[in-house]
Amino acid sequence: MNSKTILYILKRILLAILTVWVVITITFFVMRAVPGGPFMGEKAITAAAQAALEAKYGLDKPLMEQYFTYLKDIVTRFDFGPSLKQRGRMVIDIIADGMRTSAKLGLIAAFLALIVGVVLGALAALRRNKLVDKIIMVITTAFVSMPSFIIGSLLLVLFSIKLALLPANGTTSQGLILPIVTLALYPMAYITRLTRSSMLDVLGQDYIRTAKAKGVSSGKIIFGHALKNSLIPVITYFGPMLAYIVTGSLVVEQIFAVPGIGRQFVSSITNRDYPMIMGTTIVLACLIVIMNLVSDILYKVVDPRINLE
Amino acid sequence: MKKILALILALVMVFALAACGGGQQQPSSPSGTPAQNGSGTPSGSSGTEAPSSGSGTEAPPSGGETAAPAASSIAVCIASEPDTLDPALNSAVDGATMLVHLFSGLAKWTQDASGAFHIVPDLATDLPAPVANADGTVTYTYTLRDAAWSDGQPVTAKDFEYAWQRASNVELGADYGYMFDVVKGYSEEDPAARLAVEAKDDKTLEVTLNGPVSYWNELLAFPVYFPVREDVVANEAWATDPSTYVCNGAYTISGWNHNSIITLQKNPNYADADEITMDIIEFYLSDDANNMLSNFQNGSWLLIDDVPTNEIASLKVQYPDEFVVAGQIGTYYVCWNINEDILPASSGLTGVEAENARAEIRQAIGLLYDRNYIVEEIGQAGQVPASSFVAMGMTNPDGTQFYKTAGHNDGFDGYFDVSVDAIESNYASAVETLKKYYDFDEATQQFTNFPTLTYLYNTSEGHKAIGEYLQSAMAGVGLGMNLENQEWATFLNTRKQGNYSIARNGWLADYNDPICFLDMWTTASGNNDVQFGKGAHKDVAAYDMDLTPYGYDVKVEDGTWAETYDVLISTIKSCSDENTRFQLMHLAEDILMSTGCIVPLYYYTDIYMLSSRVSGFFSNPLGYKYFMYSSVN
Repeated sequence: MNSKTILYILKRILLAILTVWVVITITFFVMRAVPGGPFMGEKAITAAAQAALEAKYGLDKPLMEQYFTYLKDIVTRFDFGPSLKQRGRMVIDIIADGMRTSAKLGLIAAFLALIVGVVLGALAALRRNKLVDKIIMVITTAFVSMPSFIIGSLLLVLFSIKLALLPANGTTSQGLILPIVTLALYPMAYITRLTRSSMLDVLGQDYIRTAKAKGVSSGKIIFGHALKNSLIPVITYFGPMLAYIVTGSLVVEQIFAVPGIGRQFVSSITNRDYPMIMGTTIVLACLIVIMNLVSDILYKVVDPRINLE
Repeated sequence: MKKILALILALVMVFALAACGGGQQQPSSPSGTPAQNGSGTPSGSSGTEAPSSGSGTEAPPSGGETAAPAASSIAVCIASEPDTLDPALNSAVDGATMLVHLFSGLAKWTQDASGAFHIVPDLATDLPAPVANADGTVTYTYTLRDAAWSDGQPVTAKDFEYAWQRASNVELGADYGYMFDVVKGYSEEDPAARLAVEAKDDKTLEVTLNGPVSYWNELLAFPVYFPVREDVVANEAWATDPSTYVCNGAYTISGWNHNSIITLQKNPNYADADEITMDIIEFYLSDDANNMLSNFQNGSWLLIDDVPTNEIASLKVQYPDEFVVAGQIGTYYVCWNINEDILPASSGLTGVEAENARAEIRQAIGLLYDRNYIVEEIGQAGQVPASSFVAMGMTNPDGTQFYKTAGHNDGFDGYFDVSVDAIESNYASAVETLKKYYDFDEATQQFTNFPTLTYLYNTSEGHKAIGEYLQSAMAGVGLGMNLENQEWATFLNTRKQGNYSIARNGWLADYNDPICFLDMWTTASGNNDVQFGKGAHKDVAAYDMDLTPYGYDVKVEDGTWAETYDVLISTIKSCSDENTRFQLMHLAEDILMSTGCIVPLYYYTDIYMLSSRVSGFFSNPLGYKYFMYSSVN
């Protein structure tokens, strides 16, 4: 790694911090501009009780002051504050709880998708227009176009109700099998298609022909040259996909009752649980920024021709 | 080339196996069940047999007549993660269900063999009659039984005193803090206010109320009245973790995987532990009705408190014994903003006359709706067409239904006739009334100068379907109404601020007394969505009230809302004669309904699915579900 690369990475990290700061600022003010509040329910509490709660959580202070206090707490103490809805719990604990499940689910699903997708994609490219290729293409088209709530519901009906093989709730580790499969199918199909088209592209390149002409074994051509170079679009896709998938999917978590972070993300907004909204947004933003950075750096590793400038 | 292909195929197979690997452990248990059932193929009878076959891990071994009495357990799902399990802070029905298992107050709900509900002493040795004081207040003195907290310390009267002061204090900001407003000394504003409750010694608790309260014993069984210990709740996070959760009820929390499952374990220290038949209750936390149904159908969960709305019709057929429709004290209604001007510009009416005209119009529009259609075609869950605001299930002192003695009582119950036969005559009389104010085109049978309204509802398929029905019913005579939905918190805010013309609304009772439906409409109430006595309506002197027949020297003619309704509610709250109090409450509802701003549609029901394997379970009129006396076959 030369000094140019290091400089580039430093620049990107600074840019990432700036991005997260912009996200925090916009979210903070937009969230507070939305009507409704955290202490509102079907049955109203008294004005005095409302005031007492606002004072307790510092919501009675001027908005700018709250904003700077919030930034300071995060930067200096990594303190996301208490949840306003789940009283007595800290945002950081709720996020950590949810992330444990979501990250486990997401990482398994992402790497399952990556491995199966690359293998199937390469297989399809190598057997182009043969039966194997056609079958793979039909299946992946189906998975790419079916939304996860349909796939999830189908798997649930089939494996949990009709066959009664797997539990329908994600409380136990067996219960995580169906959500993992549901989560993995779409990226798996997408990666298959990416790998296939990019592999076909690479196989038509001059350097592959040169290698063939020089008598390099086909195994070496595929694994040494073609596969590696055809993974660039996959890497571009995989980074952000990983960020999204590990921060939980509301749909999958709802269908299978998985205690992940995706449900918290959505319910925090409906509840106007301000610190929870900020916390989940920041975590998601950071992950996406980091993953993008990592994929950009990986380009360079995979294909030295790419200039990171 | 072939070698590579073989290699890749091998890889695919390895991963395919890896992907399924986890699944291999599970089939072992269902594969055992066909033998138990002896009923045939493992996957053949999918629908109806599923509950018995997939019963999960706790099912006793098959065929053993000598099966030892293993720890009994039940898995249920009533809602997602509760907002709080602190009895003072909880305001949700699902939270209350867990709290009645975890805490023991002075009184509790029970159900007798005939299915009737009773409030019986729990930690109190008995529920004595109050002693009247000279100033009109009443004092109750309770003696506590011996009881212990889950950490072994004794429960004392001090714990009750502390818990009540804490829950009622405005500083805590509890949703149900106002449930203490019957106790002397309560203030909804002053943090320094102290309730007149005192622990005379470890076993004696004395409390003074502002006056006799007929539902006082019921309040004692309400979670917000449960005791907590000062040193326990000093830790603000005490109610979020099993290790710090100290309670005194039939169960303790043995496990809590947030957003996933809460496990309750029978508390051996509980005073009446021998009455508790269920050893372990697993509350699974999910709010997805489809997921709940899946888990019910495969037998994992034996009770689910919600079902997908569009499955109701088929579930009623498929599970006639397990689909339960229970009563619930609540009313689904449409509310008008009283300050919305719906009169045509040509009417020329102002002030009181205009308000009276609007009231008549609103009442007429309320008669255009076919409530039977709404409950049968849209609700489909056994709801009852409503003809009054105070819900079915509220009873008069003599035990009769409050709504049956409300309003007219000339051939029907309530304020208008909701029977199927009356639909056409209601409709016709509504049109006649509206003709007084709006231009009616006889050729098309449509009103031509009715202002277009906007019906506000919170985003939900069910509310939308009802909105669409109301819209079509009104469109039939040319009354235009657009539909607008808002997300829940925004909707609450808009409705509360009065920035709407007509909106969906609903109210569930907190305790069995009609006052909880009536005191929400006083001018200063936070639930006064109609905006009675606010804005332009503040000065509208359109109401009459005569309390002289009831022994009060109050007679108001052409009074404002504050001069009539607000006065009436405070009179009711200080009234010590039960019969008079109920007559006054009927009077209050009469005034309320005369405004036409409240358009009741139906009385709520509580639907849930309960496996036929469960016995000894009951659900009280407030919707709290009791599993402690249940058992699973």
